[in-house]
Amino acid sequence: MFRILKKSLKTGVVTGRHPAAAPADEAPTSEARDKATPFRSSLAFRAVDTGSCNACEMEMNALANPVYDIERFGVHIVASPRHADALVVTGPVTVNMERALKDVYKQTPDPKIVIALGDCAINCGMFKGSYAVTGPVDRHIPVDVRIPGCPPRPAEILKSLSELRDRKP
Amino acid sequence: MADAVTAMAQLKEAYGASVTELSPINGTPRLRVKKDDVPQVAHYLHTNPNLRGALSLLWAVDHRPRETRYEVCYLFTLSERKDWLLLCTDLQGDERLFGSITPHIHAAKWYEREIRDMFGLIPVGHPDMRRLVRHEHWPKGSHPLKKDFRWDTVLERAQGQYAFRQIEGEGVFEVPVGPIHAGIIEPGHFRFSVAGEPIMQLELHHFWTHRGVEKLFEQQELTAAVSLAERVSGDTTVGHSLAYCQAVESLLHLEIPRRGRYLRSLFLELERLHNHLGDVGAICNDTAYALPHAHSSRMKEQVMQLNDRLTGSRFLRGVNRVGGVGIDPTSTQLTQVVAELDGIEPDFSELERILFANASLTDRLETTGVLTERTAWDHAVMGVVGRASGVDRDIRRDHPFAAYDELPPKAVLYRYGDVRARMRVRMDEIHESIRLIREIKHRIPQGPILTLPTEVPVQGTWAFSAVEGWRGEIIYVVMAGEAGQIHRCKVRDPSFVNWPAIQWAVLGNIIPDFPLINKSFNLSYAGNDL
Repeated sequence: MFRILKKSLKTGVVTGRHPAAAPADEAPTSEARDKATPFRSSLAFRAVDTGSCNACEMEMNALANPVYDIERFGVHIVASPRHADALVVTGPVTVNMERALKDVYKQTPDPKIVIALGDCAINCGMFKGSYAVTGPVDRHIPVDVRIPGCPPRPAEILKSLSELRDRKP
Repeated sequence: MADAVTAMAQLKEAYGASVTELSPINGTPRLRVKKDDVPQVAHYLHTNPNLRGALSLLWAVDHRPRETRYEVCYLFTLSERKDWLLLCTDLQGDERLFGSITPHIHAAKWYEREIRDMFGLIPVGHPDMRRLVRHEHWPKGSHPLKKDFRWDTVLERAQGQYAFRQIEGEGVFEVPVGPIHAGIIEPGHFRFSVAGEPIMQLELHHFWTHRGVEKLFEQQELTAAVSLAERVSGDTTVGHSLAYCQAVESLLHLEIPRRGRYLRSLFLELERLHNHLGDVGAICNDTAYALPHAHSSRMKEQVMQLNDRLTGSRFLRGVNRVGGVGIDPTSTQLTQVVAELDGIEPDFSELERILFANASLTDRLETTGVLTERTAWDHAVMGVVGRASGVDRDIRRDHPFAAYDELPPKAVLYRYGDVRARMRVRMDEIHESIRLIREIKHRIPQGPILTLPTEVPVQGTWAFSAVEGWRGEIIYVVMAGEAGQIHRCKVRDPSFVNWPAIQWAVLGNIIPDFPLINKSFNLSYAGNDL
């Protein structure tokens, strides 16, 4: 017990110890901001991987670590689409995952927003045209927010999410 | 015990008429075996007490349009001296059948199903002929790696359902999990059959993230495909790109400058470090012990930020090039790397002491998800999972690449094969990686970091290379095509081998322990599905 306390005291608060995010290429559209209005103080998102290489997943997992600590902004990562306000989709949509993505979208209660995370989800990236890839996410379900990068850094994801829920347009 | 040359002589003596010697590939002896005799020869190689060959890789090549033949190749690792031995066999003209070796060698099971899906070649005698990569809604006759299948084909949709093996009986029920899981992880489907709490059977249904990586390689030039290799499995960026680069370099006869080789080892160890740090915490988190998870993910973040400062990428992307590396850290930067790790090591050691003092954690980890040495051998399991089950294999030591001939690593070995052993392998490897990085900083020579390729490889020649990534052995086989194009690139992440083994490790455990066991394996879905 003493050891654990000592460790925590010695470590101190590490939250926010990360480089600032680069300015985003595109700010969220005003329609997306309108759709995000109900989720300004609390957003529960569900991650869906439709064929990503796992780098985007690792960066999303990093959001929950003590350095980024996304929960302090009222953003929660939930275990089921039925608990979610937003779907975060990564990866080009593969032939095998197409149906699962559509199912998940139907299972998510309205109102909802869809965030395409990473270059693959936005434009299929390096996998464009492959026989096993059916196209970017917006070919199958409507996408509200796009966060580019291969993969986007956690600080950039945080920034995009906070811009989306910013009160001032 | 036998090295590869005496093994070859022994095989020739035992099967004189059906084997012929071919020119070696990357110094690895190669035998051509008559098609019908492959199962016998492979069985002999696998079970002979002198040889004890473990199947490391099995792949096929479509040689069209140059020749109308398919070639199936088997790469074995001999158990004592870890030498490699290659067996190849031809399917001429319209032949589509080849003898399955799965009845004798369990490790071949998924490889042969994969070949059937991707090439339409039938492994005769295979006990499980269900589809593997192509899910049931893929149309009949679509075999993507055949040369007459266009890479950008738009697939029609068919109907069908995967037939899971079923256990029937009173009180037995099935629990389907996935493809979309509760955590932020990749998609895969698990089908449990349970009676009460204990798992009676687990069946995997994967390949949801199949993106056609091997076919995409065939559309690229040899020197340009490094960035695709980096994206095969995002968490193993350096491992995959290094294995790819090494294969291409041996095709182009490139000599890598010494400093370049040292830097490759540095980046590979940094990658091992951040992944292992994350895994140790994640295993604890799956027992609902959140404190170590917070500490270890903080340390992992520290290493990833270090990667970012050093190379401009948190995942070390763009580091490896064909011919060397693209980034040359200054000596001040290297000193900073070591200084940062000097801070992380005692930090991590403190965490280790906290973990080992916790009896309830030990209770969850010990004897959970045991993969016995025998099962591990049968499945030719490798990497962290193998070393926790007594499989003493580490490519860095057995077939040194990059700078490991000058920096021999100590291979970690445990025999219990439970979750705790797998966690301890990772912990010990963290210390070992930090030691290696200090050593690299101390011994790195000055000089160039890149040799530019000058020649174009001869069409039809091929090479393979193996790298000990943080999960285990990554193998790439690259065959040159016309004018510097890739004819065939076989990618093998260790996950492809280790996934089937998890089906045995969970037997008798309870479903609530499955996430823990799965996390202790921590296998890649993207690297498996390709």
